[in-house]
Amino acid sequence: MNEKTRKTAINAFGTICMILIALILGGILVYLTGNSPFEAYGAMLRGAFSSPQRISELFVKLIPILLMAFGVSIAYKAQLWNIGAEGQFIMSSIAATAVALYINIPIPVRFILSFIASLAAGALYAGLAGYLRNRFGANEVITTMMLNSIASYFLMYLVNGPMQDPTTDLSQSPLVPESMFFARLIGNYRLHIGIFILLAVTIMMCFFWKSSVGYRINLIGQGEMVATYAGINVKQTVMTTMMISGAFAGLAGWIETFGIQHRILDGIAADYGNISTIIALLGSLNVYGIIASACFFSVLLCGGASMQRMTEVPYSVVNVIQGLIIILVIARNMFADRLPQVSHKEKKG
Amino acid sequence: MGSILNITFFVSLFAGMIRLATPILLPALGQIYTQRAGILNLGVEGTMLMGAICGFIGACVTQNLWFGFLCGILAGMIYSLIMAWLSITMRANQVIAGIGMNILASGLASFIYRLVFGIRALPAKITSFQSLKIPVLGDIPYIGTIFFQHNILVYLTFILVPITWFILERTTYGLKIKAVGENPRAADSKGIDVARIRYSAVLVGGAYAGAGGAFMTIAYLNTFTEKVIGGFGYIAVSVVIFASFQPVRAMFGAMLFGLASALQLRLQAHGVGIPSQLLLMLPYLMTIIALVIASGKAVFPSAYTIPYSRMER
Repeated sequence: MNEKTRKTAINAFGTICMILIALILGGILVYLTGNSPFEAYGAMLRGAFSSPQRISELFVKLIPILLMAFGVSIAYKAQLWNIGAEGQFIMSSIAATAVALYINIPIPVRFILSFIASLAAGALYAGLAGYLRNRFGANEVITTMMLNSIASYFLMYLVNGPMQDPTTDLSQSPLVPESMFFARLIGNYRLHIGIFILLAVTIMMCFFWKSSVGYRINLIGQGEMVATYAGINVKQTVMTTMMISGAFAGLAGWIETFGIQHRILDGIAADYGNISTIIALLGSLNVYGIIASACFFSVLLCGGASMQRMTEVPYSVVNVIQGLIIILVIARNMFADRLPQVSHKEKKG
Repeated sequence: MGSILNITFFVSLFAGMIRLATPILLPALGQIYTQRAGILNLGVEGTMLMGAICGFIGACVTQNLWFGFLCGILAGMIYSLIMAWLSITMRANQVIAGIGMNILASGLASFIYRLVFGIRALPAKITSFQSLKIPVLGDIPYIGTIFFQHNILVYLTFILVPITWFILERTTYGLKIKAVGENPRAADSKGIDVARIRYSAVLVGGAYAGAGGAFMTIAYLNTFTEKVIGGFGYIAVSVVIFASFQPVRAMFGAMLFGLASALQLRLQAHGVGIPSQLLLMLPYLMTIIALVIASGKAVFPSAYTIPYSRMER
């Protein structure tokens, strides 16, 4: 077993331990609410796996969260803390729906245009934060967070105003033309052809860090000095990174619009922004780690929703588990980074 | 539009500005300590949320607003202890640690609310602090209404501005904070315990943030919702950068945001033709603009966001 596999194995083991600790702490919280933790987790597992329809839901959930986690992981690798995936997702679904509803061109062309508009909306919205950082030194954590709020108010404005479905009082737009819906794969289950897009992107991601753009993004993550010495235009790469990162959220928004919602509505992003951040960090920004983490989260989210329906346990337990996982992961990463450093110094001394 | 721009409009606008500046000024003042010590605590948002929920529960359970306020402060300190541990002891990346703190807080806060209050049709409510009219000054026309007819927490917050300035500029504690933020190695060689000063600075910041959160639930909205902080923590961080880490400038920065929020509320109340959702964007847009203006010029502490270790050089 070489050094790299050994490290990966230790890393994976550490991640599983973190998840277990978070689940145990979550179990204690469930106990505090006066319920049995075993029953709660049992309900969660049954809710996730007990029927083909539920398994289909797992994949439905996996599509947006895995795509967005890939997207933010690219930015994080470059030490660009894009926490704006949520806003980028919202802007993209607005763009997708607007093209589908208001641009009267043949459906196939409209479909392609909506795809381009979605990716562009996500990329440009993230690119705006990249531009503000490059040009003015504005901290991207704060700008992307503010852009999230702005995007959700913009969505609320649209679905209660100009884009509201005239036939209802609900905060939602009319449905997009039915011929634009993604085809479903198995009978009436919600699983749709978007899963193939996810598959294609996942395969692409396996090679991303070996590509020249991936290499450059990785280098600016090592520090501006390193990248500059390597002859990389840092500002340009910051823009590229942010825009690629945003385009992933854009793609997720496009798929969610035509695959699941078929319209825009208030709250369409469903906390995907935070979740994608947790998944990316839990997976140590590694492609395979992210895939595994996203699968775990898909079970946690789908199972958590049915746990709330079947037992007295509130869904917020799931939110707490998410939060615990991220704090534990942050603490773990530091251990991993610290230990070799210490031994290195000792050797020297 | 012309008809609403009368004197009553401006008086209530500016009074609202002072009131709404408070929940931004409080955490911002606290973050001045933290950031001057070299720690960027982006977890203020989450810390405020913990202060908001614990303050609200404290006030609800005991029916004593001051006890609730104290609960908020304590909750802020305890919660920020996690941030201090992650960023100082574990030397974690402060940006990730802050984001993680906010995610955990949003889960914890809604869980605690559910645990204490269960599911109810109407949200739990409390009776808030009465507004306290300052004698003589409060009677001055217009000026009195704008500045001297608020609840006591508003006055206390504004009194903290000179106190914060004094502590940072005129006491040894303030000097130590600046020393560990500028040059921790030199501070260490002078016998200052870097970790201890940084821990205390994060805790002070947490206390202020917890107080700011409690202000929202027990002295402003009088109820708790998951969105009660709504980005105020991030706004406070950008106010600190906008103010170049100076308390007095932070006060003006917070008032600017108070003005934006108050303007948004006033315009909505007057039913101006602008949809409310677009007006609600105003404070967030202003935060971005403020960062754009200030980030290039602000002089950051030299050891900003850099963990300190004796072993490395």
